[in-house]
Amino acid sequence: MIMQRKHLLIAPLVVAGLMLSSCGGDKTEASEESSSVDSTKTEVQAPVAAETFFQVPSPGEMLTFIKMIGGKNNKNTTFLNSPDNQKNYTDNKSKALNFGIYSCDLSYCSIFEIGSEALKYFKTVKQLGDQIGVSSAIKPEVLKRLEGNLGNPDSLSVITDDVYFSSFETLESGKQGPTLSLVVAGGWIESLFIATNLTKYEEKSPVVARLADQKYTLDNLIEFLKKYESDANVASVLTQFTELQAEFNKIGEKEAAPLKSTDKTKKVLGGGKDLIISADQYKVIVEKIKSIRNSYTLTK
Amino acid sequence: MKKIFLTLFILSTVYSFSQTGVCGQFHRKYCGVDSKHGGDGDWSYNAQSKSGLFNQGMTSKIRCVIYKGMDYRINVCCETTFGDKLNYKIFDAKTNEILYDNSTAKNEPLFEFQSTATRQLIIEVTVPKGAADKSEHKPVDAACVGLLIEHKTTNKQGFSAY
Repeated sequence: MIMQRKHLLIAPLVVAGLMLSSCGGDKTEASEESSSVDSTKTEVQAPVAAETFFQVPSPGEMLTFIKMIGGKNNKNTTFLNSPDNQKNYTDNKSKALNFGIYSCDLSYCSIFEIGSEALKYFKTVKQLGDQIGVSSAIKPEVLKRLEGNLGNPDSLSVITDDVYFSSFETLESGKQGPTLSLVVAGGWIESLFIATNLTKYEEKSPVVARLADQKYTLDNLIEFLKKYESDANVASVLTQFTELQAEFNKIGEKEAAPLKSTDKTKKVLGGGKDLIISADQYKVIVEKIKSIRNSYTLTK
Repeated sequence: MKKIFLTLFILSTVYSFSQTGVCGQFHRKYCGVDSKHGGDGDWSYNAQSKSGLFNQGMTSKIRCVIYKGMDYRINVCCETTFGDKLNYKIFDAKTNEILYDNSTAKNEPLFEFQSTATRQLIIEVTVPKGAADKSEHKPVDAACVGLLIEHKTTNKQGFSAY
């Protein structure tokens, strides 16, 4: 009994000890910080693995980049997923994927100042959002804000970004990891689909370079999906994305040129490699993106 | 006995950035850079930002993607329990080369940078042992830590094609 009490009393200390002994990064790797531990160290101080979280830039970041480098006057919406298709998405997988896809389309309409279409896409996002459990993230007043800012692209973008981030947070805090991973996958593939519809291959095109750089984002996204691969819906998406990754892995590399900081307060992180994508590689990747995306939207 | 340790083990592993539910968008609410320190309208929120619940001595990592031709700004902040002693390191995810350690800048939470190439970075955040004020008698209390990432296009120098 005394022994048991003693263990209970030291429980908080043991918790502290476990925290203090946490390892960073990969589950086999020990960080320097964890190598020195204090007197709370006990027999149970086996290293605790610290998880690495794989982050994915938002679809809006890619679209903003395209607009910035020369697509300001673009108003083309023909390649977006029509809101009319929403009725075709009846299972959880297609609802989550197309929520991500429509969210990206909404972001596109906002960034490229296509206000009337933005309203249509918002309503579609709202309807699908209600079905996948993020209704609390997309409140009715957001529609009023959207309507009130149709002529203000910056505000529209902020509002639609908020919709995406709030939905993300709702799914994350609600422990709906598989749904969240499908939403992120849908949004990402749609942003690439849009980018490739707006861009033709040119060796020195910044958009083509940005597309090649998606190799890194895809790596992160695949790691994120792997976390939920026990879910059959996620597993099937993971298979498709792994095939796409195989194509991205064929892209060549060369040492990045040194860079001088444009500002004294800004540090330059040197090293790294630039990716060099050929026309043929670009073509294959574009086709693969199209094929995956259309398999989600159930369109040709 | 085993049950106690198992429970403690589970308790200990749910902390760090995995506890986003507890801390939510802490980074958006509290890690914004004020105008005195360069906070302005040019910077855009980066979706790779994250918050989590940390305990003293805790380390957690995110792997993110940064693009060539962009400026980035990182600001790490936490609840007052942990004071201002947060440490973070930035590694190249591919080579594991350490690229920045804020302990070399007196644990300055704010860091602006650009990169010669698009790459994956590992950002490792640590709440050091003894970060909390011991007089508060809360040595094992957990607190929210936010990692805010912002980006903007690097200003072109000279004439530009775009």
